[in-house]
Amino acid sequence: MLKNLAGLWRHRALVGVLVSRELKARYRGSVLGFFWSLLNPLLMLAVYTVVFAFIFPGRSASTSPYALFLFTGLLPWNWLSGGLTDAASSLTTHGALLKKILFPAEVLPLVAVAAQGIHFLLALPVLGAGLALGVAGVLGPAVPLGWPLVQAVPLFVLEGVFVAGLGLFLAALTVHFRDVKDILATGLTLWFFATPVLYALPDIKSERLRAALLWNPATPFFEAWRDAFFRATWIAPERWGVLAGLALVAFLAGYAFFDRLRDSFPEAV
Amino acid sequence: MTASPAVVATRLSKSYRKWGKTRAFGTLKSAFLGRGLGAALSPSEVVNALSDVSFTVARGETFGVVGPNGCGKSTLLKLVAGLFKPTGGTIEVSGKVSALIELGAGFHPEISGRENVVINGIMLGLTRKEIERKLPEIVAFSGLEDFIDEPVKTYSSGMYVRLGFAVAVHVDPDVLVVDEVLAVGDEAFAHRCLDTIADFSRRGKTIFFVSHSLALVEDLCDRVLYLEHGKTKALGDPREVLAKYRMDVADEEGARLARAQGENQAALRAEKTGGTGESAALRAERTDARREREIFSEGEKGASATGAASATGAPQPHSPFEEKPPGHQESVQQATTPTASAPLEQKNPPAPVEKPRRWGSRAVEITGCRMLDASGAERYAFRSGESVTIEIAVTPRAPLSDFVFGIGIFTPEDVCVHGTNTEVDGFLPSRLDGPAVVRVTLPECDLGTGAYLVDVAVHSRREAPYDYWRGACRFQVDAPDRAAGVYRPGRRWTFQGPLALRDTRDGK
Repeated sequence: MLKNLAGLWRHRALVGVLVSRELKARYRGSVLGFFWSLLNPLLMLAVYTVVFAFIFPGRSASTSPYALFLFTGLLPWNWLSGGLTDAASSLTTHGALLKKILFPAEVLPLVAVAAQGIHFLLALPVLGAGLALGVAGVLGPAVPLGWPLVQAVPLFVLEGVFVAGLGLFLAALTVHFRDVKDILATGLTLWFFATPVLYALPDIKSERLRAALLWNPATPFFEAWRDAFFRATWIAPERWGVLAGLALVAFLAGYAFFDRLRDSFPEAV
Repeated sequence: MTASPAVVATRLSKSYRKWGKTRAFGTLKSAFLGRGLGAALSPSEVVNALSDVSFTVARGETFGVVGPNGCGKSTLLKLVAGLFKPTGGTIEVSGKVSALIELGAGFHPEISGRENVVINGIMLGLTRKEIERKLPEIVAFSGLEDFIDEPVKTYSSGMYVRLGFAVAVHVDPDVLVVDEVLAVGDEAFAHRCLDTIADFSRRGKTIFFVSHSLALVEDLCDRVLYLEHGKTKALGDPREVLAKYRMDVADEEGARLARAQGENQAALRAEKTGGTGESAALRAERTDARREREIFSEGEKGASATGAASATGAPQPHSPFEEKPPGHQESVQQATTPTASAPLEQKNPPAPVEKPRRWGSRAVEITGCRMLDASGAERYAFRSGESVTIEIAVTPRAPLSDFVFGIGIFTPEDVCVHGTNTEVDGFLPSRLDGPAVVRVTLPECDLGTGAYLVDVAVHSRREAPYDYWRGACRFQVDAPDRAAGVYRPGRRWTFQGPLALRDTRDGK
């Protein structure tokens, strides 16, 4: 497994060109180009803002301005859900390739996760514009801004590793069980509501529910994103420890599972 | 060049798991709800694609693999290329392998040829720098300079393959795995591919070559492995191995033809006896035969109006074996000019385009037809130059004295290779009182490689058919060399003038 991991490092150039191919191919021939990747989160943002700011008003003060609050959670969520969905089907859709060219198969789910990560990065300017408006107080109560923003950089890396690990696991599983994709779609919807994206964890009144939500491995990540982008507070070292631990365990377990089934892919896809 | 071999396979086996009929893939749901994960992952059957194959390929050797479809060739290639892992035994390949298993695999249709070349090259193991350095050379080799910046989806399949081949050979592998890729692309490109492969060979690279083109295998390979049902059938000198393979193919074809012949005869017997257990198909055939007889009698009435007779689809009641091949030309006319004959078809239903198999008055009936070799054994696969005997069994309805026996040999394309009859060959009939057997032997049947059909007939001296049977037998001829054509005479070459040729024939 370690040897394969080292081999993966040698193939980073391949991941690079495949990610750029993925992005180029997706947006080639469309007028708006990569702005399509912004359109989806913006649309979701608009819908959720209308629903929760005007139809179900009465948010707590900790989530306002709500549009900005939501956006800081929605962007990393889209990365997670899009990355997992694409990674799960990455081996089966590129089955012909696996049967014909010798290359490390883990490249495919990793490319899927990385491409979604690029989408995340491409949406950051929009978030930046939102933050500028928020800081100016245009959207409601002014949000603080400061150095805690730099925490987004290690957070980006850790979420990438975390999603990659889950993606590797799902990709390997999908090869042998074709219904994983469908189960995943349902599971992601459930997971979305179990993760503090639409709400902030401290706002949950029920002690037991809050404790239950803390078992959700995605919760620490989303609380951390909020701290970096929205609340501008520093994340405590023990929380960094938890995040790093989650990311590493997910990646190593996912990779080990993938590595174990590796030889079966060319025949089973 | 070191002495260590390039590829070593030791007792190599590969089996595939075959899942039950009801599901092509497991579902997680059924795994959890039903028999548990273990049961869901365990195969219901195991298929051995390759068993116990051992060989060593020396560095710089061109190694061929032949065998019928499903014999394990592709599996072997995938094992050599490292795509599959063996289930038993070991395979060691030293050096970089480049597999031309499917050219252009991994090209993305939406992006340009140039970008695809870069990605494909990196996938095949080059670094970004290397591929960029080789890019002009690759583009030049593919001959796609004008299209290289277009998206690959606009390429024709030939262009696609050319680009794929160009990348694969520029990866500069130590072992090149070639699987039946030269069948695509135009003639010029195929030649360039072969030149490239020859060049690889000259540079001391190992080539693993799979093709159904035995001629190509014979030309290119130093040694050949012949696989059958995943097992080694033969391994060694290309000539010997390929001769064995060709022989096996011919034998199999012969066995198939013999079986078909058996069925043919059985159908005929059933038709003759017309027993109570007669099947619907045979009854239908009998009806056909009766119709043919009716058509014939009609044709006989208008025997002089040959044009009309042919246009109605009735075979002409004249001897097949003299100036015109029997029924064949009429059939061709039917097939090619259906509209021209339309006005004449008012009385009869539209002439079927398919050719009638059998017709005649049955004053003499052919009750059997088979082919024999020199030893008198029934056989339907012959080697060129062998003695071939066609045997016809006949039964007259009543004793008669006006009869001619004829045979004709045709290619599947309906070209008459040879036709003759007893009258042409100088035998005048005097009496036929009961069941009889007629044999005609061609002592040296110098036919070229291919399949042939035999027509047999009994007709009157005035060429009214008693029983004309098209395609009564089918046989296969195989020649030891690759000379072309249906006729394969003996040859002798002589050379004069300032030229020199090296004689590589057997024994020299």
